[in-house]
Amino acid sequence: MYKPGFTLWYSVSDVERTLEFYTEKLGFEMDSYDKENGMGSVHTNTKECYIGFSEAEQVVPSTAAAVFEVEDIDAAVKKLTEKGIVFNGEVSTIPEYVKLISFKDPDGHHMELSQTL
Amino acid sequence: MEKEVQVIHIMKELSGRWTIPILLSLDKSGGRFTPLKNTLQISPSRLSSNLKTMTEAGLIQHLSPFERNHPLLPEYELTEKGRFMKEVALVISNAEYRLNQGFLAAKAWNWPVLIALYYQYHEFNAIRQLLQTVTPRILSKRLGELYEKGLLEKTLITNPRPKYTYALSSNTEPIIRSTNSNLSALL
Repeated sequence: MYKPGFTLWYSVSDVERTLEFYTEKLGFEMDSYDKENGMGSVHTNTKECYIGFSEAEQVVPSTAAAVFEVEDIDAAVKKLTEKGIVFNGEVSTIPEYVKLISFKDPDGHHMELSQTL
Repeated sequence: MEKEVQVIHIMKELSGRWTIPILLSLDKSGGRFTPLKNTLQISPSRLSSNLKTMTEAGLIQHLSPFERNHPLLPEYELTEKGRFMKEVALVISNAEYRLNQGFLAAKAWNWPVLIALYYQYHEFNAIRQLLQTVTPRILSKRLGELYEKGLLEKTLITNPRPKYTYALSSNTEPIIRSTNSNLSALL
């Protein structure tokens, strides 16, 4: 039934600011940008996985976390902090399962980094 | 009297700098704020306040973030009344194109005055009474402006006492007549 492909799509208040955040800070690749219609998307590190954005007058921050897998969470946090990402608190560990830390995008949409143990 | 009152009421509701442009551009912009803002070249705060006023007037419906299944779906949609008013807006736009005197509906009372004259209300007080809420100052100003644009003629009558009477100019009358008939067909 399903074919490979997964997209998250967020409402954002300023698509240009959002794209800058996802490309320059998080390091994802720009997939599309339509300034006139206030739309854009990035390609994540995973094949066929995209995050799309469209501008809206009213934005409600998503509380569902988009979780990105990293190889080494402490190294990733260091690198992204240097880029200006502000994390919520410290890395938390669920023993023998996963290490997690969360942050927010410019509209307050919930994001997480995860390192599988 | 019923018909002209009805037409004037609709014209009053559609007057304003942004009401007609928003009605005519909303669908083309997919009902989304950003494309609409870019199409109209309007500031976000002004667009927001106009959309709010039009929502309160029942012309458009605002869909909350929780009612929208995808961020690319409309944020605003025309209501049934809005779709009707869009048809009227098209008639007005077409008439303004033919009159070639700019965006008349942008200013309150321009169209109600033209309609009043078409329905043979020739005297200042008769027009004023038909338009109800217009102030004498604004009515006098609009009559003067429409006269300057050549859309109406005024005649000085001296008997029993001096006063002006107003009528559509010969170029304007056929356009207002066909506009009125197109509007009547929609009602």
